[in-house]
Amino acid sequence: MLVVDRVQRSFGPVAAVRNVSFQCERGGVVGLLGPNGAGKTTTMRMILGIYPPDSGSVTWNGKPIDRIVRKRFGYLPEERGLYAKMKVREQIAYFGRLHGMQEFDALKRADVWLARLDIEQYAKRPSGELSKGNQQKVQLACAVLHEPELLVLDEPFSGLDPVNAQIMLDCITLLRDEGTTFVLSSHQMWQIEYACNSFCIIGAGEVRASGTLAELRRTFPTRTVRVLPDLPEIRAVFTERGFGEPHYDADGTLRYELAASTDFGGLLRAAVAAGPLESFDREEPSLNQIYVRALDAAPSDGRAA
Amino acid sequence: MNEVGLVFTVEFMRKVRSRVFLIATFAGVLSIVALVLIPAFITHAAKSSSDTIVLAGPEPLRARAASLLQKHHDFRVVYQAERLPQPMTVGFLDDHEKAAAAVVVSEHAKRLHLDVYPRDAAVFDEVQFRSLVPLNVELATGASAAETENVAKIERSLHPLEKRFADAKSATFARGIAFGLVFVLYFAIIIASQSVMSAVAEEKTSRIAEILVATISPVNLLTGKTLAAAALAILQIAIWVAGAVLVLPHSQLTTSATDPSGIVAAGAGDSLTNGAMASGPNLIEPGVLIAFALFFIFGYLQYATLYAAAASLISRTEDLGMVTTPVILPVVGAFFVAQYALIEPEAPFAIVASFVPFISPFVMFTRIAISAVPVWQIVLAIVENGLLVALCFIVAGKVYRIGMLLYGKLPTPKQVWNALRA
Repeated sequence: MLVVDRVQRSFGPVAAVRNVSFQCERGGVVGLLGPNGAGKTTTMRMILGIYPPDSGSVTWNGKPIDRIVRKRFGYLPEERGLYAKMKVREQIAYFGRLHGMQEFDALKRADVWLARLDIEQYAKRPSGELSKGNQQKVQLACAVLHEPELLVLDEPFSGLDPVNAQIMLDCITLLRDEGTTFVLSSHQMWQIEYACNSFCIIGAGEVRASGTLAELRRTFPTRTVRVLPDLPEIRAVFTERGFGEPHYDADGTLRYELAASTDFGGLLRAAVAAGPLESFDREEPSLNQIYVRALDAAPSDGRAA
Repeated sequence: MNEVGLVFTVEFMRKVRSRVFLIATFAGVLSIVALVLIPAFITHAAKSSSDTIVLAGPEPLRARAASLLQKHHDFRVVYQAERLPQPMTVGFLDDHEKAAAAVVVSEHAKRLHLDVYPRDAAVFDEVQFRSLVPLNVELATGASAAETENVAKIERSLHPLEKRFADAKSATFARGIAFGLVFVLYFAIIIASQSVMSAVAEEKTSRIAEILVATISPVNLLTGKTLAAAALAILQIAIWVAGAVLVLPHSQLTTSATDPSGIVAAGAGDSLTNGAMASGPNLIEPGVLIAFALFFIFGYLQYATLYAAAASLISRTEDLGMVTTPVILPVVGAFFVAQYALIEPEAPFAIVASFVPFISPFVMFTRIAISAVPVWQIVLAIVENGLLVALCFIVAGKVYRIGMLLYGKLPTPKQVWNALRA
């Protein structure tokens, strides 16, 4: 289990990370969300021991992360790189060996991953000759070859075309199912929503919200209700309850932003009674909405209710 | 395999198979072969003009010597005089049928003594003086047994320049060898250090650095890389030396088997009595080679670690020149100071410079190669350089650890200073 406990890190006068805390069970996937410069990469680097925290602690299975523990982690940084002149298979095996694998095992596992990522035909080619997408596959193979217990992926989908992004997502899913714990960051909301089972939204170095999607939704103060058709009687149901004037979607659908505590059942019954109701749709807030609102909100203790 | 060993092995194998290394090594062998063989060809070509000499000395010694020398088919005395003008100049030789040398014969303690002013010590074939051995025997008649023991040996004075060498020719050769070795030292250190620098810059600019420092200790990474480049440089030098050794038997730079100096003996005093030139390539004495290896390693480790630290600070290869200039300057300065030490190895400036950090490996090696440096100075330089290597690793390790994760603008000197204090 990964526990990040009130870590802080400053660079000169700039506080990059302040009191960030979250945890992730074995086999869990936690998504770090936040705008550029929010402190996600610094947090990841502290998890990996690249930067020691100024205060707070990071533990893996209850123990501080030292060099031995770190060998069991895998890392795919946001800015990726390969030795351009080193051959693909050799390169993947090298990174495996840096994590403590024997040469023979590393080469054998490299072959497995080359096949899994459908790049085995490039095994003997220098990495620099591959396309960007294929280079990213090689980098993923480098990060996962030693079957890490914790895999830290910083923006794994950035720059990938939809096909390669799907391959990356499939690999994450596969490894998650095999028990690998993940910390990953991304700006691609649907992918992170699909891949992660908990989230930590960071803004200006602080946790703005964290928890599972259900927990985050429970803290979201409003719900969107979409109603058809646009009839005065139906609009009156909302007006009578003090919900004000509706917004309109492009197709003419009525849209109301209502408090999460609203009696939606009573509202639906009243709308049905008011006229020929065609559609009454209450939408849960999307991760994107939660993200935007969390970043707009004033800093708090950040924990979802 | 531990981290240092793994990085060392992979780096070494990666570089040794690279086209740049193969081309540089091959080109180096070709250059050395050319450097060794060309003087031999020049010497060979120059021999045809080395059969003329100017002879001076008191009668009847001079007449007897002239007779013996002219009898010898290799020599022709083109001018004779009681004494020669001083100082002896090349112009004087030019005025006398471009004579190869001026020779002053005299008698000292019943032994023939020669003062030789050769036009070119490197090409002047002193074996030809063997024709004077009978004259020496004549002079020695009636001398004690001890004095006649080495009667076949003709005493000569070739204005020795250094106390370590028997004569000027030996010193000239030693200088030539020292210059060559200092040159090799300079280039080997520069090339090997820049190899480390480019490897670090490659990792930094291609962003591999972050994965590496997340996996292994930055100091182990730096150590593995530095040692791999050192091993490559040593391998390259060994190949060059092997190339030189293979062609030496075909050159004039071979040594006498009994040469007391052991450095460079072609034309040293004993060769007159030994007669033939040995064909063994005992060009450089082992002590000089050991000094070369030792001061190469010291110099290389000092510069390579600093180059690596400098390279770790950049984000783009375009910035490489900016950060490495301050590190290159001492190497260039050291090379020039070494050139001075080559001329004046015992001058106070050269002695002091042989203990100045970063300059010491070049200057101390130069002095060792051409003069008799007191043992305490050598020991002091070794200890000092060893400590400096340790300090360089500590300083470079700190900068490297921070620098490898710095992207964007170049760090200010204050930031680097803060990293060093951390």
